[in-house]
This record gives sequence, structure tokens and C-alpha cells, in this order.
Amino acid sequence: MNAPSPLIDIKHVCHEYASHGHEHDLVLSDISLTVSENDVVALLGPSGCGKSTLIRVLSGLVQPTRGEVGYRGQPLHGVSPGVAMVFQNFALFPWLTVRGNILLPIEHLPPAEQQARLETVLSTVGLGAYEYSYPRELSGGMKQRVGIARALIAQPEVLCMDEPFSALDVLTAETLRNEIGRLLASPDHPLRTMVFVTHNISEAVFLATRIVVLAAQPGRIAQIVPNTLPYPRDPDAPAFRAAVETLHGILTHTNLPDTVCADPGKVVTKVDASRRRIAPVSLPYVTPGEVLGLLTLLGDEPCDVFDLAERFGREFGAVVRVIKAAELLGFVATPGQDVVMTDLGRQTVGASTTEQKKLVREQLLKLKIFDLLVRLIRVQENQTLAEEELLRELQAALPHEKPKQLFRTLLAWGRHSEIISYDQRQHQLRLYDPKRSSRGAAHTAAVPPTPPAA
Amino acid sequence: MSITQANPTSRRANPLVDAVVLAGLISLVFGTAHVIGEWRQPLHTKVEIDLSPSSLPAYALFSFARGWIAYFFSLLFTLLVASWAFYDTRARRFILPALDVLQSIPVLGFLPGLVLALVGLFPNSNVGLELACVLMIFTGQVWNMTFSYYDSLRGMPPDFRSLSRLYDLGWWRRFWKVELPVGVQGLIYNSMVSMAGGWFFLSITESFQLGTQDFRVPGIGSYMSAAIAAGDVRAQICGVIAMGCVIVAVDRLVWWPLLQWSRKFNLDDFAGAQPPQSRLSLWLARSRAMQRLAQFLGRISARLVQPKNAPHAEAAALTSSAKPTRAGFGRWVYRCFLGIVLMVLAVGFVRLVMLLTHVRASDWREIGVDSAISFGRVFAAVALGTLWTLPAGIGIGLNPKLSSRLQPFIQFAASFPAPMIYPWILALVIAMGGSLEWGSIPLIMLGTQWYILFNVAAAASAIPNDLRSCAAILRLDGWRRWWRYLLPAVAPGLVTGWITAAGGAWNATIVSEYVHAGNKLYQATGLGALISQATDSGNFPKLTAAVLIMAVIVVGINRTVWKKLQALANERCRFGT
Repeated sequence: MNAPSPLIDIKHVCHEYASHGHEHDLVLSDISLTVSENDVVALLGPSGCGKSTLIRVLSGLVQPTRGEVGYRGQPLHGVSPGVAMVFQNFALFPWLTVRGNILLPIEHLPPAEQQARLETVLSTVGLGAYEYSYPRELSGGMKQRVGIARALIAQPEVLCMDEPFSALDVLTAETLRNEIGRLLASPDHPLRTMVFVTHNISEAVFLATRIVVLAAQPGRIAQIVPNTLPYPRDPDAPAFRAAVETLHGILTHTNLPDTVCADPGKVVTKVDASRRRIAPVSLPYVTPGEVLGLLTLLGDEPCDVFDLAERFGREFGAVVRVIKAAELLGFVATPGQDVVMTDLGRQTVGASTTEQKKLVREQLLKLKIFDLLVRLIRVQENQTLAEEELLRELQAALPHEKPKQLFRTLLAWGRHSEIISYDQRQHQLRLYDPKRSSRGAAHTAAVPPTPPAA
Repeated sequence: MSITQANPTSRRANPLVDAVVLAGLISLVFGTAHVIGEWRQPLHTKVEIDLSPSSLPAYALFSFARGWIAYFFSLLFTLLVASWAFYDTRARRFILPALDVLQSIPVLGFLPGLVLALVGLFPNSNVGLELACVLMIFTGQVWNMTFSYYDSLRGMPPDFRSLSRLYDLGWWRRFWKVELPVGVQGLIYNSMVSMAGGWFFLSITESFQLGTQDFRVPGIGSYMSAAIAAGDVRAQICGVIAMGCVIVAVDRLVWWPLLQWSRKFNLDDFAGAQPPQSRLSLWLARSRAMQRLAQFLGRISARLVQPKNAPHAEAAALTSSAKPTRAGFGRWVYRCFLGIVLMVLAVGFVRLVMLLTHVRASDWREIGVDSAISFGRVFAAVALGTLWTLPAGIGIGLNPKLSSRLQPFIQFAASFPAPMIYPWILALVIAMGGSLEWGSIPLIMLGTQWYILFNVAAAASAIPNDLRSCAAILRLDGWRRWWRYLLPAVAPGLVTGWITAAGGAWNATIVSEYVHAGNKLYQATGLGALISQATDSGNFPKLTAAVLIMAVIVVGINRTVWKKLQALANERCRFGT
């Protein structure tokens, strides 16, 4: 092979979504990445790390807020000319037949050429008998074959795939993954350069020559891991397993950093250059039920994070969030890749429901964010805090978090542990008072009327 | 945000039922009107319309009240008939196609017959007129509500039905605890649409005049017509503003809070999709008086819904003989009722046939020619409307920011009763050297194009994100972007919009081919003008024949063109499984 020339080149890309009003969600933060010819790049990371946005930036579908995007050395405006894309949910046009869908990218070519390419591509993906069917009649796997065929027929310089197998059942996904692997390995097929998004480690190791591990909130590159295993790759080979193991480690480390926190729930953040202050740590967006469930299932033995993810049948990123929350509350510790139950955790598992709530309550109240919440309610005139008010405060205290989501998380924990109660009709929070709530009626005459909002 | 029609694929077209319903309806209205009334009948007190702006609030209140009384009956009809159709599978086979026909016929043609029939029933008071007015608004409101509620019941999760049987809820509690919560969102949404349609009929019915006879009732509609007749521009502007205020007030004070409230009945509790709550409804929820009211209502409804007995107690206590007799009695009442209805219809039908024998051959020819011309106008109006609403709707639908910003304005434009400003548009057309022959096309468009806009925008906003990206990656542009991507993607919405718009357009021909502006009468050639003219000149047989033909044309086109097109669009171009 010749020296690879860079195809797609992005430098210092940042991207924000304007969510509501003046809030902006930073999705990508300072990402630089080069995709060269013959590269097979996997974008690997937990959900919410912006990998789908990143692949859309690479293909020119999304114009990033800041940073440069280049294609073959030229700055890219609009959709990249040499890119084809396979979508998670297939994106087939329901009103076109399989044939019509696949021919869409090459309709400008002479009919004979179209037909020749169509036949090649149909036999590559094994869709010959379905040429005149409508997508509605096809199974998920067949639909994605159409999607792949449509991408291949344009003979793209780069094939982009956005979680191409995650909407399929396990067996179908396995089959299609193998077929893509075969195409990459086969010397006669022109497909060489590919970028794909996945949250599945072995998928990344199976297909990619470079694996870009992303970290979440905001999305950024944690590490780029080269993968030099020769095609075709065997998932049972020791080298393959070792690579998967290494990536496990990296993902765990990026998402569960081994920082020693003397005072859990507080970290020192730089607010601006001159002033430092203690900012509250956000609570990961998980529910109490998930954390208690984790404790129940954990047992006494240390347990590997990936094994846990496997056992729960959940996505890695989701499990990491649950573990983080449990760690924040002091129920588990995470030395290395392992998760270990603490004494407090064990005590909590064994406790009765009431006891359990008390223990969680005590732990929660140690967190700065709950401290903030309780104090906020106390300073209100009638001990009633309006939702908008709290959202504003959260936004100010934790500018990088999504206030609505954080609010829902706080609400879930606060209500579960009987710290606060929430009236959904009026969107107001109070401190929980068992006497009032036991009567059932939420509106009572004992509270003076709320003054109308100015 | 669409004005959606209930899913049509679930209803089979049955030409026999169409014919029966059409004949029945026309027999009922015209036949009975003929029986009761001589054509010109001295009656009732004449209404003086005061054109000073200070009297407008009272007129607005009258119109407002009529709109809501009609809505109340629409709601009642909806709940009763939709439940009936849902639970009685035998009746369903007739009710659904009947409603479908009723929904598509041009109701305005029935106005004169209806007014005469009801005025004849109450010769010495205004009751008949008021009743006619309410009934007309009712017919503009009720059909889509009924279809929506019926579809909600059909979509009710089967678990809920099992549950209500398990807990022995009975029809009363089942209605409050299960059926209404399931249907309330669609019902409120369609109520908004219905109310908008209702204003159109209100404005026409309130100002109804028959030749020299004055059938007006005090209200904004009659105020406007009086202002137009007097050429009082200031009063016209005041009238338009008052109507606008009524529409906005109803929208903001009634429908918005209700819509917000109904969100809690969302069946699929997707936590992430909590819509922003309006400031007003939050403020109301926190106001003390509203809390009291809510508490009070809550207590009353709890009392109403409270069961008297433990579940299944009644069944246990029931003697074996009690049930059959009750069911037998019910069937007997049902049969009697059906018999009476059939008898009335038969008498009406005979009268109708007798009436139609009076129509001269030249009249039939005239009706034929005029139908063709009106058909051309309706077609032109829909086509011209499509020309701008299709790209605009797609643009709005693909851009959520634009759509949320424009939606209140579009909704207002769609709700505003177009006939109120016909004279203005007409003046413009005539100033530009046109005549009503062509000028009636923009008049028709004024009221009907919005349906296309709404439905196209809704369809465009439902295009999946992946597909949009895919179209961008494939660099579909120019005609390929339209034919391969955008047009098929919005086709189901477009067809629904066309159906609603064309139905509305036929209705609109009656008022827009025959316009009073100032002291002058403008008249175009067409079936709508013919109906209005026959009404004014008191040619009852000709009127009946013309309305009959118009109804047949509309229902016929519906069956032969629209339904097929809709089925095709729904089969080919729907997203998802």
C-alpha cells in the first residue's frame, strides 16, 4: 500500500445545540481527527458522548459551531462529495422499491451502467430476490442490507455508518457485521475506508483499524487506539481478546476515574481564572431503583464493570452512570476496573424499606447539591419552591449540566428518600412532611396563599 | 397541528349506504320543510342591527353563546354516537359510513330548508331561527369530533377494557374512568378544529336572508352583514376585530389550558417529552380561587363516580328473570324508534320525489352546466391553494422553530370566518378589473387553503430525521428532491388536506359565487350561485334539485377519487412499519 493520504480532516471542532432560550448544550468539545485512505475508524463511547454528531460532522451533514472541517485538503461546506452513509434506522424511502432505493445515488449514470452496478451490489449483499419489493415488506436485517447496498453502489471514498447494527436483533447484527468484515478483508472489493459509530467494543475491534474512544459530557476524544490485527479477525483469538480487554480498561478509566475524593460530592472547579470556589457535583441521571438494584445484584465479590453491564443487559454507559451514583453515595468503591460494595452498601441492602430510605436520605444530605436544594426551599417565604426557580439555580450552579434532566433526577431521589415532595399540578417543591402527606390532600388551608408571580 | 381526518382505511365505502343517507337527509330537510311551510310565511319579529361599536360586545356574546351551545350538542352527540358505534357492532356498519357521508356533503345548501322547517315549527317566536343557527354550527362541528372519539375508543388498550370488566365499573364509571381519559386528548384537539369550522357557519347563518325576508338573529355575523349592506367601513373593521378577539380569547382561555391539562392523560408516558407549560395555566393552577374550584369539582366528580355497591354485587343479587325482560324492553323501544325514523324518512322521500317532478327540464340543464363551472372553480381553488401551501407547508414543517412561531397566526387565519371579509376581497378584485366569475376563486381559497397548509406541515414535520439526513447525503435536489423525496413524504397529509379543502370549497361556492357587497349583488355562474339564487327567488324545487346534485357530486368525487388516492398514499408513503 502507498502512503495513506488524508481524506477527512477536522481540527478543533466544537458543537453546541441551542436547546431552549439561552442554554446551550455542548455536544462536542475540541475534537481533532484525521481519516486517511484505508482507515477503518470506529467511534466508540457511551451514549450521550456525541458520537453520532461527530460522524455527521465528518460527513458534512452537521456544520460544527466552531472548528475546521476539510475534505481532501479543501474546506468542506455542506455534504461531503465522496461520502455515503448507512443509518441506524435504515432511512429507506418507503415509496420506492428496493431497486429504486438502491439506484437513488446513481440515477445520473447511463441505464446500462446503473443496471450493471445494481446487479453487482445486489449479489454482494444478497438481495437479488427482493429487487421489486417495498421496504415495508422486509425484515430489519433485510432493510439494513438495502441501506448498505445503497451506500456501496455509489462507490464512496468513505463509508460512514451510524450504529448500523444496533436496531437489529443479536443474530442478524452478527451476520451483517461478518459480511462487512468480509468486504473489508476481500482484496477485490473497493471498500477500504470506513468510519462507523458503535457502543459495542468487540464490534469496534472486529472491524476497525483505529478506535477512537470518546468521553461524555462534553463529548471529547479520550484516546485513540490503533488496531493492527490482520483481517479476517477471529473474536476467539487471544490477541483479539486482549484488545477487547485493553479497550475495556480505557473505557472504564475514562468514565470512572479513580480520583480519591476526601469529601465526596465536592470538587474544586475553576470558575474563572481569578476565583476558585466549591461547586456542587451533579448527580448522575439515574433513579434510586437502579442504584438499589445494583447493590442487590452486586454481592460480596468484586465485580468487573463490563461483566456487570453484560449481566444487566444494559449499555455500558448506562451501567457506568449507575455505578457512579452509587459511588457518590458511598455504597460502592471502584478500585481499578472493579466494583466493590462498601459496608454502608451492605447495610443498606440488608435494611428494611424504611431503614433503607433513612440511610439513603443521610447520604444524600451530605451531597452539596441536596444541601443547596434544601436550603433553597427553606429560604422561600412559605417553604415552597417553584420549579422554574430551582431550574434557574441549577443552571447557575452547574452550567455544564442539563437543568431539566438534573431536576428530574433530584426529584426522583428527593421523593424516594422522603426529603422533598412535589406538586405536579402547581410545579412546586416543599420539604417532605409526613403529617401533611398522610392526609392525602395536597392542598391545605394551613399554607398562606402564594403571592402571584411578579 | 394538523386538521387530521380519522383514519379512513378502517372504513369501507358502501355506495348503498351513501345513497340511503343522502336520500334520507335530503328527504328529511326538504320534504319536511315543504310539508310544514308554505314558501313565504309572515312570521317573527324583525331584528334591528345596531351598528354602533358599543353594541358589539353584546353581539359577540350572543355569537359566543350560540357557538358554545352548538358545541355542547356536538359533544353530547359525539359521546353518544361514537360509543354506540363502538359497542354495537351491528349499528356500526351503518353509523360509520353515514357519518362519513354527512361529513362530506355541503351543509350550507341545507340552510334554507332547515330555516324554513324550523321557523315553521315555531311560527310565533325566534326559537326556530335560533335553533336553525345552532343546528348549522353543530353540523360544522360534530363529524370530526365523533370520528376522533370513535378512533380513540378503538385504540383503547384492551387491558383497560378487561380492567373495567374486572372491577365491574358499569357504563357510567367506565365512561369517566376509562373512556373519557383515553379519548380526551383527541377530543380536545378536534374540538379546537371544530370550533374554527363553527365560526364559518355561524357568520353565514346569523346573517341569513331569504329574498326580502329577514331571518337574521343578533350576533357578530348579522352585525357584519348589516355593516356591509350599509357600506359602513368603520363598523366592518370593528366587527372583524371583535370576531378576532372572540377567536383568540376562546383559543387562549379555553383550548390552551384544556390542551395542557389533557396531556396528563397521555397513554405513552414518555418522560422526556414534557412540553413547556403555558404561563397562564401555571398561574391559574397556583391561584387560590382556582384551587378551591378544583377541589370543589374534584369532590363533586368523586361523588358522581362513587360506586353504590361493591364490584359484582349487583350481578350476585340479580335474579335470573330480571335481565331478559329489561333487554327485551330495550329492544322493543329500539324497534319503535327505528320504525318512527323510517316512517318520517319515507314520507319525506315521497315528498322529495313529488317536489323534483316540478323541476323543469331547462332547470336541470342549467344545473348541469353550472355544476361543471363550479367544479372548475373548486378545482382551480384547490390547485391554486396547493401551489403556495405545498412549498410553504413543507418549509414550515421541516423547520420547527418557524412552525412554532407561525402556528398561532396560521391557526387564527384558519379560524377566521372568511365570508366576513368577502366584500373587501371582492372590492379589490373589481378594482383590479376582474369580475366575480374569476373573483370567486380567491374567495373560495380564502377559507379552504389552510387545511392543505396544516396537513402538509404536519406531514413534513413527521419525516424521520435519518431520512432527512439521507436525502442530504444523496444530494437529492431540484426535481429529484421533489419527486423522490418531498412529495411522497407529505402525500398522506396532502391528500387529507385536499379532501378537507375540496369539501370546504363546495360549501364556499354557495356564499362566494353570490355576494352582497354594499347595496349591490354580485353573481357568478355556478352551482353555488344557483342555489343562493333559487333560495332568494323562492324556487323551492330548483333549490332542492341543485342541493341534491351538489351533494351527489361531492360524495361521488369523494368515493371515486379522494378515498382511492388516500388509500394509495397511506399504503405507499406512510413511515414506520
